[in-house]
Amino acid sequence: MTDIKDPGDTTSEEAPPKRMSRRGFVKSATGVSAASLMGTAALMANSDDPEAQSIWAEWFQSNFRLMNDEEKQDAIDRLERRYSAQYDKQVTVDATPAQEGVLFGYALNIQKCIGCRRCAKACVEENNQSRGDQEIEWIRVLKMEKGEFEATKMEDGFPDGYGIQVGGNAYSPAGVVLEGEHYYEPEQVPEEDAFYMPIQCMQCEKPPCVKVCPVRTTFREPDGVVVIDYNWCIGCRMCIGACPYWARRFNWGEPDLPAEEMNPKTHYYGNRPRMKGVVEKCTFCVQRTRQGRYPACVEVCPVGARKFGNLLDPESEVRRVLATKSVFRLKAELNTYPKFFYYVD
Amino acid sequence: MKKLASFVAAYWIYVFRGSAKFYTWLGFLGLFIFGWVYGNYMQLTEGMIVTGLTDQVSWGLYLANFVFLVGVAAGAVTVVFPAYVYKHKGLHDVAVLGEMLAIAAVVMCMLFVLNHMGRPDRLWHMIPLLGIYNFPGSMLTWDVIVLVGYLILNVLGGFYFLYKKYTNEPVNKGFYMTVIYIAIVWALSIHTVTAFLINTMPARPMWHHGMMPIRFITTAFAAGPALIIIVFTVIRNNTKLKIADSAIDLLSQIVVWCLGIALFLTMSEVVTELYHPTEHSAGLRYLMFGHNGLNGLVPWFWASIVALVVSFVLLLQPRVRKNYKILPIICAITFLGIWVEKGMGLLIPGSIPTPIGEFTQYSPTAIEIMNSLGNWAIGFIVLTLLLKGAIGVLLGEVRYASE
Amino acid sequence: MPVSDSIFTRTIGKRPVLSAALCALWLSPFSSTLAQEQTVCFESRETASRVTQTELGEDLPNVKCSDTTGGVLWWGDPFDGTVPMGDMPIEADYTHGEAVVKPRTEQMTLYPVCGIGCHNGIFPEPVESDAPPRALTMHTDIIPDALDLQHGNGALWCLDCHDATTRNMFVDNAGGLIDFNQPQQLCGKCHGQVYGDWRDGLHGKRTGEWAVTGKKRWFVCTECHNPHDVQQGVLESGFFRLQPEAAPILPKGMENADHERHDAH
Repeated sequence: MTDIKDPGDTTSEEAPPKRMSRRGFVKSATGVSAASLMGTAALMANSDDPEAQSIWAEWFQSNFRLMNDEEKQDAIDRLERRYSAQYDKQVTVDATPAQEGVLFGYALNIQKCIGCRRCAKACVEENNQSRGDQEIEWIRVLKMEKGEFEATKMEDGFPDGYGIQVGGNAYSPAGVVLEGEHYYEPEQVPEEDAFYMPIQCMQCEKPPCVKVCPVRTTFREPDGVVVIDYNWCIGCRMCIGACPYWARRFNWGEPDLPAEEMNPKTHYYGNRPRMKGVVEKCTFCVQRTRQGRYPACVEVCPVGARKFGNLLDPESEVRRVLATKSVFRLKAELNTYPKFFYYVD
Repeated sequence: MKKLASFVAAYWIYVFRGSAKFYTWLGFLGLFIFGWVYGNYMQLTEGMIVTGLTDQVSWGLYLANFVFLVGVAAGAVTVVFPAYVYKHKGLHDVAVLGEMLAIAAVVMCMLFVLNHMGRPDRLWHMIPLLGIYNFPGSMLTWDVIVLVGYLILNVLGGFYFLYKKYTNEPVNKGFYMTVIYIAIVWALSIHTVTAFLINTMPARPMWHHGMMPIRFITTAFAAGPALIIIVFTVIRNNTKLKIADSAIDLLSQIVVWCLGIALFLTMSEVVTELYHPTEHSAGLRYLMFGHNGLNGLVPWFWASIVALVVSFVLLLQPRVRKNYKILPIICAITFLGIWVEKGMGLLIPGSIPTPIGEFTQYSPTAIEIMNSLGNWAIGFIVLTLLLKGAIGVLLGEVRYASE
Repeated sequence: MPVSDSIFTRTIGKRPVLSAALCALWLSPFSSTLAQEQTVCFESRETASRVTQTELGEDLPNVKCSDTTGGVLWWGDPFDGTVPMGDMPIEADYTHGEAVVKPRTEQMTLYPVCGIGCHNGIFPEPVESDAPPRALTMHTDIIPDALDLQHGNGALWCLDCHDATTRNMFVDNAGGLIDFNQPQQLCGKCHGQVYGDWRDGLHGKRTGEWAVTGKKRWFVCTECHNPHDVQQGVLESGFFRLQPEAAPILPKGMENADHERHDAH
């Protein structure tokens, strides 16, 4: 059983303090009702099937951030029982809160990226996404094609009486083409006229997805990671509409996760198996990073293009990148302030 | 209390005392309920995998219908506003019918929202105090407030009026006019907030411009009255209720003005986005011309433009507007044209290409279409029943017989 | 490494034909037959970093392999099979944390016998360290043409890196020996800027703990770069090409991705 560590200050920046006193009342009120309902449900269920027992209790559970320690422990235990029975493994659901003095940052060297997509697949090995026909991948690698300016196209284009308005080479991959290719599958990478740019959740400091969520199920944790309480999500997909980086995915059906591929070390906000009708996305592998380990994508990259660390520590790899390399962020003009930086060296 | 109970009873007894034609119509609508039951069962058990929605195009047929129907609900104000603010006699006599339409449209909106949600069983998470209500940050919470409020206002206003008519008592002007004035302003707000739902996302450049609310309002005020004209024509031909020509004339004028402004806004959008096309106009270019062989939406766009322009030109002419045989047909074309323009022309291409440049196609599955048709059928059943009772009250056939 | 007094040199040294046969045996594929039942994948370079999948604990494999490319996708324990890095001649940030490396020599079939059974100072004939480059008769599977070494654009030959007598050690600028598992001390002789970036964590790959004071496994140069074929033909990138993993599945409603193939239209 995973014990809930002393959370310290686990309230995120999104919960306004003035609601605390009503919260307290509501917490105890819902706590009483949830507990009594759970008791009733347990009597009604009359079965040893952990999944059946937990369905009612999970339905009634409050938003994780609003639970007291006992309720959190109950929720964790419930989930561990259900997952362990479902996947026939000893599944742990961690609830480690954010560490003080840590703000996670990420840097990706697009000079080095060869487009091998191992980051996308390693993420899937670690984070228990749905497979098969309903395959979900949180990382999407774009191939950006380069090309040459062709002399043969000099006669093309859109002339007007006084000269050429649009040059013939405008719409071909000359220099670099604007549309990235998503479904490239060559024999070997990197290809000759291409460079590659992986995209995943940018863990924005000012996330548009958090702002539009009607039930505050997605929010920014104090260590900078934007997470989702999967048991609270109502599946309205406003967040998917609002994300400028197409970072969020939806479980359109019940996820298809074979038991032998399931990673049993999970976190409540991270890679625990999701259910149908809820949104999911990259969490910088919160189940690993809060235990001190690199995310799976950082570890697998064969060219060492991915750097990760604590933005508040000037000695960290990611801070060194920001200090010494040429760095940019995607769609910076949207003022989302991503913590995922791209660099070249 | 006794009067209220007898009002409710008399209302519904009158509603279900209908002709063969009435029951045939209800039966026809009822057929769609079978598909609706099956489709909702599949969606609730299998999940939304039974729809054609994807991570790339995650807002589809359901939300398109929702956005359109919010407009139709707002369009009821085109009856109420002239009736009470301008004291237009023709509309004043039948204003309550507009409120009934608003109620039916809001009911349909709510059904479509429930279909769109991945976890409708978790709807309680949105109830303030019980769950978390992210107001005022999330635009969706504003939309819930204005829609629920609009429903309450129309139920309150409409049935209060009918009740007073039933009991032959005078309406309390202070109370009733307050409700009416609030409802008029509120009607504008429901569609403005729905437009804000869409246009406040910089991630979607096709939607992210200040023109969206006015475009929504003008198309709503073209589609709403168009439907009301059709409904009024049906009422004229099938009931004893007299609807003045002036009522229909004002409504058709509203349709043509608003249609004109809507077409003007479309034109200005096309010029602005396509004069020097950028990546931000990729969605519009995809809609109008297709992209590298992905051409599914192109015929829909051009068909709706043709339909709306032709309707506009025809409706400009007073003798067409006064021809009450042709007018409902043109209104139907307008209604459908605006539906296509809102749905295929706005909601779907807004998601194509994705914010990171992927072009895909979306087509709704049979289950999505069955659920949508079922929702429309339920809405029209509600509309039919409410209108029948309201007409009965207006005609005086449903009145309180005091002993 | 004291090899001269071992039993091997006393026996094999006197029996050159037998020792040549033993060399051949080590080179044969028979030694790899034992691994056929298990899943083997490679960490970075296909020929240089093979790992056999095992269970470290309950439901904890040491690695997860890709069915498509045979590459390692995930490590259960990033420090499995590693040893401490050892000293580096210049102060670097690794002293803040703990640095471990995975020795490559354990996987190399030739390595143990290089200096014993083969280059033992007696057979073949020893060469001077300043000997002129010549074509090789053996090891042509590693270096097809010794006179056109794909490293250094014609400026380098075998003995610029390998010690002339102790062939399973590298040589530094003072003639001292560098351990095969610490290639960075060799590569850094010429590639100083990259070596500096590598020490700072900006070049190359580390797995393990993200904190500056955390324990990390540092991937050494030859785990990623093939020193005998660094020029990589057309790309001149210094890094080998890989087979990519599979593309994501197409979304519903799309039969193919032809619309994005720029060469298709």
